[in-house]
Amino acid sequence: MKAKHLVRIRRVSQAFFLLLFLFLLVETRIPADMYFDYSVFVGTEQDIRLDQPVTFFFELDPLVWLSSLLSGGRWIQGFMWAVGVLILTLFLGRIFCGFICPFGTIHHLVSWAKPALKGNRMVRANQKTASQRIKYFVLIGLLVGAVLGLNFIGLMDPISFLFRSVALAILPALGGGIRAFFDMLAQSDIKVLNLSSYAAEVFVSPVFGYAAVAFHTAWLIGFLFLVVLFLNRIRPRFWCRTLCPLGALLGVCSRFSILKLEKYPERCTNCKLCTQSCQGAATPIPGRKWESAECFMCFNCFDVCPEQALAFRFKWAPHPNKAPDLGRRAVLGGLVAGVSLPLLARLDGQIDKVSDARLIRPPGALPEKDFLTLCQRCGLCMKVCPTNVINPTLTEAGMGGFWTPHLVMNQGYCEYTCTLCGSVCPTGAIKNISVKEKIETPIRIGSAYVDRGRCLPWSGNAPCIVCEEHCPTSPKAIYLREDIVAGADGRNLKVQLPYVDLKRCVGCGICENKCPVKGKPAIRAIAAGESRSLKNQLLLGA
Amino acid sequence: MKRLLQISGGIALAGAGPWGSQIPSAFGAGTQKESLIIEGIGETEGYSVHALTQKVFDAAGGIRQFVSKGDVVVIKPNISWARPPHLAATTNPEVLESVIALCQEAGAKKVRIADNTIHNAKRCFAITGAGAVAKKTGADLIHPRSSLMREMKLRGQRLDVWPVFVPLVEADKIINLPVAKHHSLSALTLGMKNWIGGVGGSRWSLHQDIHQTVVDLARFFKPTVTLIDATRILIRNGPSGGSPSDVVTKNRLILSSDPVAADAWAARLFDAQPDRIGFIQLAEKQGLGTGNPEKLDPRKVTV
Repeated sequence: MKAKHLVRIRRVSQAFFLLLFLFLLVETRIPADMYFDYSVFVGTEQDIRLDQPVTFFFELDPLVWLSSLLSGGRWIQGFMWAVGVLILTLFLGRIFCGFICPFGTIHHLVSWAKPALKGNRMVRANQKTASQRIKYFVLIGLLVGAVLGLNFIGLMDPISFLFRSVALAILPALGGGIRAFFDMLAQSDIKVLNLSSYAAEVFVSPVFGYAAVAFHTAWLIGFLFLVVLFLNRIRPRFWCRTLCPLGALLGVCSRFSILKLEKYPERCTNCKLCTQSCQGAATPIPGRKWESAECFMCFNCFDVCPEQALAFRFKWAPHPNKAPDLGRRAVLGGLVAGVSLPLLARLDGQIDKVSDARLIRPPGALPEKDFLTLCQRCGLCMKVCPTNVINPTLTEAGMGGFWTPHLVMNQGYCEYTCTLCGSVCPTGAIKNISVKEKIETPIRIGSAYVDRGRCLPWSGNAPCIVCEEHCPTSPKAIYLREDIVAGADGRNLKVQLPYVDLKRCVGCGICENKCPVKGKPAIRAIAAGESRSLKNQLLLGA
Repeated sequence: MKRLLQISGGIALAGAGPWGSQIPSAFGAGTQKESLIIEGIGETEGYSVHALTQKVFDAAGGIRQFVSKGDVVVIKPNISWARPPHLAATTNPEVLESVIALCQEAGAKKVRIADNTIHNAKRCFAITGAGAVAKKTGADLIHPRSSLMREMKLRGQRLDVWPVFVPLVEADKIINLPVAKHHSLSALTLGMKNWIGGVGGSRWSLHQDIHQTVVDLARFFKPTVTLIDATRILIRNGPSGGSPSDVVTKNRLILSSDPVAADAWAARLFDAQPDRIGFIQLAEKQGLGTGNPEKLDPRKVTV
């Protein structure tokens, strides 16, 4: 096949997978016209499930599979895709990086669009450097850490990194900006502009939803994403060459690939166009050895060489490709880092000793230790949550649980008959529970308590029953007792005082969310009483 | 996508004038002939809800008494909770469907369903059956959102300026389609209290003076007609319910052009005395209607 065609196929493939990734990301929500047929209702709760296979890229990602297996001892759903990618890599090298990886494609785009470096400077930037060993250090550190019980892979895994960044930071920020623009139009006195604000509904809502969403620490997530993109201006595909642990894993597997770069030094005029266009800094130039572990199989060098001094050929060679340049320091450093990470992460005591009251995990989340062996911190549960209650942690789960999901009740609440978060979790860190299971078990995520000093009826300020009204269990976990309290002016006030029945409370937090006492609501949900922990209980024999 | 264009396009048309200029149409709707009240009862086993709805409207002189050709009609069901229909926390979708069909028969240009839900709107639409009804009948289901909330002067005794869900006021005709439920503070959730779903903002503070605020809202929204769904009612654990054991089948629909009378009549299904219910009492005192439906010569129809 001609090089031109190969490059064209690569571009089509990259565009296809990037668009597929973004499509699945946007579709990680309740489908727009998901309507149950009420006439066939048999009287049980039905489960809302997504139409699209939104976890596809996570199934495709060998690191997600491997880390879940090593850390949590779990074969995740759809892992055969990841095995397929590894087998593909054994034959074709890092074809995933060049053809499929959506994050790689974004880096490729940022590096390629009006390159920051020209001519000789680009040639120099594309020389292989020792810094490319960092990714092996990252891979080994994260995998060893995973084996020792703390799965940090998701912080650096490209699919998780990209999903988290786009879903929690880029998309909400864009949506907010566009919405603000249309709101400005809506305020306009000029009729045409005013009417055109309705276009917002057509363009904004299908992608960004109807309501503004927000995520804790999204500024940091977005900032890191932009930094990583900017690095491409210093060296093309900086992330893929230097940092990506998945690239490192695939690089190691490409040792025996049969698709090889053949070099014909006798034809080479040393024009260095191949190096100038090389994405992976894989030393394509004839006369030196090709680094298969660094090569993304982008076929640029093949395409660009004017003298046909380079060609990709299938070849069952007796000797493998050049060994990946791991570097002893990267390996040893990775081992040390991998051993220390789980130990360091436990020092704040959040995993073994303390359980933070604010650490309310999504319904169906595994016990904390198991949870941390599986959670990829990818943000799927946060994106799919219809009330925007699931947020990335900062300190709530300790260092080991950084950016894992927790529920922030002043932003949303856990809907009693919703089980979407578990249904999209790619590794099963949140179990895929049914509504029936959630209600009948019941699966508690915490418990509520009344702050009598702030509560309007308890403090003699006004009658109010909002928490009780919203309480979703039947019978209600929040019950009322009629009483007379002393009001501020000394007069007696007849009120209904709210109490929480801990046996019934599931900790959903709708009471906190809807409480009219702003700032610090007068009824609040905390993690105590969550069914996933034996330790974190309030009542004997619950 | 086409649906979205429909929805937003429709609103754009209705809202061509400056916001709020069409409020008088909502007020004007109340200045009608004689008030009347009809109770429809489904007595036969497996009766058709559609036939019952039809009969109730026929007894009132036909749907054309309320909806004229070319009208934009907005229906305000109670679909606040993401609960399936059999739990009686929300308006029966069959009743909703029947009313929409009647409006369309009467030549309504557009029928909209609008409610500012409490639970996530998409889930409410999916689970209460309202979404399926919209799909089946072609009515527009309007997703509540901040861009559709406008601060308006309610001119109430307790409520002055408050964010209002605009599709509910920007229509030629407004049909209030609540479900009859128990409520721990106001005793019952019926027609007038259904308008809490017509406003946004920090609406949970309304509960600090629930009766007067409900009356203020009822005065502001003033529906063309109220049809209370009491095919099954929620007798405890209201207003959200959650268990079939909280539900009692009543097979009744109550239609009235007098919102106070409708509530008063429906209150009797709960064995409650209308004059003991704060908002009914206040509404009568403040001239919104009569708390004594017997005065209106109530009629009963059965299927």
